[in-house]
Amino acid sequence: MARLGRSNNRLDSTVLVACAILSLLALVLPTQAREPIASVLRRGLLAPMLLLQQRAEEGRRALTSHEAMVSQRDSVAWRAMGVAALQSENTRLRNILGLGSRLQWGFIPAEALHGRGIRDEFGVTLSAGSLAGVQKLSPVVAPEGLVGVVDNVDPSISHAMVWTHPDFRVSAMSQDASAFGIVQAHVESGPGRYLMEMRGVPFRTSIKPGTLIVSSGLGGVYPRGIPIGRVLAETKTAETWARTYLIRPAVFPADVYAIMILRPDRASAGVDNVWVTGMIADSSVRKIVVAGDSLARTAALAEATARQAAQDSVTRDSLRRAGVPEQLIVAPDTATRVRRPIVRPDSTRSDSARRDSVRRTPARRDTLAVPHRP
Amino acid sequence: MTLAGIARAVITFVVLVLLHFTLRPLLGWRAPIDFLLLAVLTSAVRVRPAGAVVIGFLVGLVADSLAPDTLGAGALAMLFVAYLASWLKAVFFADSLPLNAMFFFVGKWLFDIIYFIAEHRLSGIDLVQQLVLWSPLSAAATAIAGVLVLVMMRPFLEPSQA
Repeated sequence: MARLGRSNNRLDSTVLVACAILSLLALVLPTQAREPIASVLRRGLLAPMLLLQQRAEEGRRALTSHEAMVSQRDSVAWRAMGVAALQSENTRLRNILGLGSRLQWGFIPAEALHGRGIRDEFGVTLSAGSLAGVQKLSPVVAPEGLVGVVDNVDPSISHAMVWTHPDFRVSAMSQDASAFGIVQAHVESGPGRYLMEMRGVPFRTSIKPGTLIVSSGLGGVYPRGIPIGRVLAETKTAETWARTYLIRPAVFPADVYAIMILRPDRASAGVDNVWVTGMIADSSVRKIVVAGDSLARTAALAEATARQAAQDSVTRDSLRRAGVPEQLIVAPDTATRVRRPIVRPDSTRSDSARRDSVRRTPARRDTLAVPHRP
Repeated sequence: MTLAGIARAVITFVVLVLLHFTLRPLLGWRAPIDFLLLAVLTSAVRVRPAGAVVIGFLVGLVADSLAPDTLGAGALAMLFVAYLASWLKAVFFADSLPLNAMFFFVGKWLFDIIYFIAEHRLSGIDLVQQLVLWSPLSAAATAIAGVLVLVMMRPFLEPSQA
């Protein structure tokens, strides 16, 4: 028994020494000799394990990159949310720049600082005061039209009464000066309180819905021609001797951030063409865009026609080569429409022949455009 | 050892090897758990020292094939650790979790010491930092994982004699 134990111990020691020598040999082998051994082991026993390890590492990368991707996506979404506001602000600034260039002189640019109090819907604080030249009763305008009037001036800031104030009044007229009246806020508790009303329009005068209402210049505070709003409909009141119209305001004070304060000398000089010019410029831009579209449409049609003519010419030539009699070859556009290359001879009408000749012209032009090579 | 016992030991070995190539890269720790060493140790305590040496040598050699420049270093370290595990288990046989945890911890640390000295890749402060800081951390993680594996697989490895 003891001999068996000693024998086993000897075997253990022998195996240990042998394996240790093999390991040391592997350690001191030259690189050229190590690589084939390692390669055999990798390709044989380790290949499926390495595949598993690769999958696991991919999974870990996916997990770690997921957070980065979510963070990236969130930041992109956050920026995208701000794009609409930036575009809106850009448009507002462009409009105010346009108004400034049309006014040219006699205005003070300012920011409208909105409060969140109950009475704030009747007025706004302006970021310019008497040091900038602001005076009481100066009209406050935006690119879209009339906002209100300055009612209080401090050295660095001022306060404006906007048209929603119950005491606000402006003498107004239709754009063609056919009807005059006084515009004020439409005092109502419902959604109608965001509208204006034009009172005192003579009964004999009727204003169509959609008519632009501008300041009339009467009274000396507001110069003539500042847009106020557009007529929505006539509304019934107790006054039987005059008409009253609901007006959709050109400017909603809550949406106004950049404004212009007109100095008294500018107001007395008049702003007749400022908003009219702006409207003409807008309509001109629209007309240019429409004209551009129609030109593009015409060019596309011409190109399609030329292509069709070229295709028809090829079809006719192939029919002639195939021995089809000339009178059986129908006008190409008719053939294309019914998808039959050969139709009855009596279906060849004079107008389709004319179209054919017309459409053949670009094809001939193309043919001539190809340089002749002897 | 019965045939069923051998089969259970082989299954445990395969599971630990699979964990080494799946869970370890998935965790991606700086002080990784060495499931291969756990596989060798759990097998080594069930066979004679000569068998443990062979297991350790083969597993180490296969693991070394991933880094041909140090081929043999892992095999050398693994066979010594397997031999010592088998010999110690025969001498001080005790089936307690703290002892097993200590067994795994010392086994992993010893493996790292032999491996990093044999491979000659690290030297100076890097070697000291590896052997004094990262190797004990890795050994601790390996010991915890080994204990968890033992707790989970004990009913499988040592079925009750009902």
